[in-house]
Amino acid sequence: MTPELIEVGRGLAYAGAGLAFGLAGSGSAWGIAIASHQAAGVMREKPELFGRMLVMIALPGTQGFYGFIAAILMMTQTGLIGGSVLKISLGTGIALFGVGLGCGIAQFVSAINQGNASAAGISLVARRPEAAGRAILFPAFVETYAVVALLATILFITFLTQPLPLEYLNLQ
Amino acid sequence: MTREGMSARLKNFPSWGFVSGRLSVLEERFAGKDFFTALIALENLGDVVPHLQDTFLREYLAPGTAWEDFSSLADRCLHETALSIRAECPSSIPVDLFLLPHDYLNLKCALLRETVSPFPRGVFHEELLQAVAHGEHGDLPETLRQGEGWSVTDMAQIDPVDLDIILDGAYMRHLIMLSSAMDSELMAGYMHERIQAHIVTVFWRAAKQHFPFRRFQQHLLPMGEFTALINDLAGQGNPELWPAMVGGGVGDVLSEALEKENGEQVAGFTLKMANRLMGRAKEGRLQTAGPERVFSFMAGMSAEMANLKLVVSGRLSRIERGLLRQRLREGYV
Repeated sequence: MTPELIEVGRGLAYAGAGLAFGLAGSGSAWGIAIASHQAAGVMREKPELFGRMLVMIALPGTQGFYGFIAAILMMTQTGLIGGSVLKISLGTGIALFGVGLGCGIAQFVSAINQGNASAAGISLVARRPEAAGRAILFPAFVETYAVVALLATILFITFLTQPLPLEYLNLQ
Repeated sequence: MTREGMSARLKNFPSWGFVSGRLSVLEERFAGKDFFTALIALENLGDVVPHLQDTFLREYLAPGTAWEDFSSLADRCLHETALSIRAECPSSIPVDLFLLPHDYLNLKCALLRETVSPFPRGVFHEELLQAVAHGEHGDLPETLRQGEGWSVTDMAQIDPVDLDIILDGAYMRHLIMLSSAMDSELMAGYMHERIQAHIVTVFWRAAKQHFPFRRFQQHLLPMGEFTALINDLAGQGNPELWPAMVGGGVGDVLSEALEKENGEQVAGFTLKMANRLMGRAKEGRLQTAGPERVFSFMAGMSAEMANLKLVVSGRLSRIERGLLRQRLREGYV
C-alpha cells in the first residue's frame, strides 16, 4: 500500500463524512421549512396552536444532528480528531465514503418527507386540535428510518475502522 | 379516472404551505348538508340568522350589524375571503377562476357607462372599470377583444342580449386562458367540464327562449378547443341530440337532465353539473399544500355561499321547504 493510496483512502473517508452531515443538514433545513410554512399559515388564524405544532416543526431537524454524529464518529474513529491518524486503505476509504453518502441520502430524503408528514399533521391539528398527540405519530414513523440509518452508519464506521483488518493488511 | 388515480398525481408544493395551513383552519367553518337541512327545517324564521354564527358569515353578522340584502352580504364575504387568500398565494389563478363571474358583471356595468360596480373588484381593477365606464376602451381585456362579434364602435347601439353573449364568450376564454396557465390536471379537467356545461346551458336557454343560435355562435366564437362544440350545438336545434355531441361526463349529466320535466330540465342540469364539479374539485382537499388545495377550497366556498343564499333568502322569502331541499348543492364537507 503506497502512501498515495492511503492518502486517497483518507480523502474518500472524509468526503463521506462531509456528505453525511452536508446532505443531512440540507434535508433538515428543507423539512423544517416545509413544516414551518404550513404552521405559519395555521398560526395566522389560530396562534394559540403554536405549542401543539412545535414538535412537528422541530422533528425534521433531528436528521441534521444524526448526520453530524455520523461525521464526528468518522473523524474520531479515523483519528482525525483526538488520536493517532489511521492508515486507511483505498478499499476502506471507498467503503467509508459509501457509508457517509448512504447516511446522508437517508437523512436528506427522510427529513424532507418528514417535513411533508409534519405539514399534513399540522393541517390535521388545525382542523382538530385534540388530535395533536396522534398527528405527531405520522412524522415520528418517518423518524424511525433516519434512526435506523444512523445506527447502520455507526456500526459500519466502528467495524470498518477496527485495528484487526488494518493489522491484517500490515497497515497498522 | 379513478379517485385514487387523481389523488396520486397531486404533488405537494411547499411554497403553497402558508396559505394551505391557513385553509386548514378556515375549513372548519364549512357547514355540512345536515346544517342546511336543519336550517330549512327551522320553524321560527328569527332563528335562522343566529344559526349562521358558525359559518364564514359570522364576522358579517355580528349582533347590531345592519344588512338589507343577504345575497350581497354573502357575495361580499366570498370576495373578501377570496382576496385575502389570493394575497397569500404564490399564483392568483386558483382564486381568480372563482372571481371572474362577478368581474365580468362589473365589466358589463362599466360598458353600459355605470360608474358604480355592483360587486367587489377581483381581477379587473377599479381604474380599468372607471376608464371603461367613461368610454375609454383601450385597456379592455384581450379575451373581450378576441370575440368575433366585438366592436367598440357599435357599443352605443349594442343589444343588451348581444352584450351578454359577447361577455359570456370573453368570460369563457378567460377561464380557458387561466386554467391552461396552471398546468394542473385537476383544474384543467374541472374547467373543461365547467366550460362545456356553460356552453350547453347558454344554448339550451337560447332554445327555450327561441333565440336564433346563429347569433350565439357569432358572438361566442372563437373558443379554442370548444369551437367545434359551439358549431355542433348551433347546427342542431334539438337538445335531445346534444348528449352525443357533448360526450363524456357532461353528456351523461345532460342525458339525465333531459329525462326531467320540461320546465325542470335546465335547472336540473345546472344543479347536477354543480354537484359533479364539486365532486371533482374535492380531490384537491387531499393535497397538503398546493394550488389544487386552494382551488378546491374556493370551489367549496362558492358552493357554500350559493347554499347559504338559497336557504336564507329562500326562507326569508317563504319559499316552500321541499323546493329548497331539492336545490341544495353538494358541499365541500
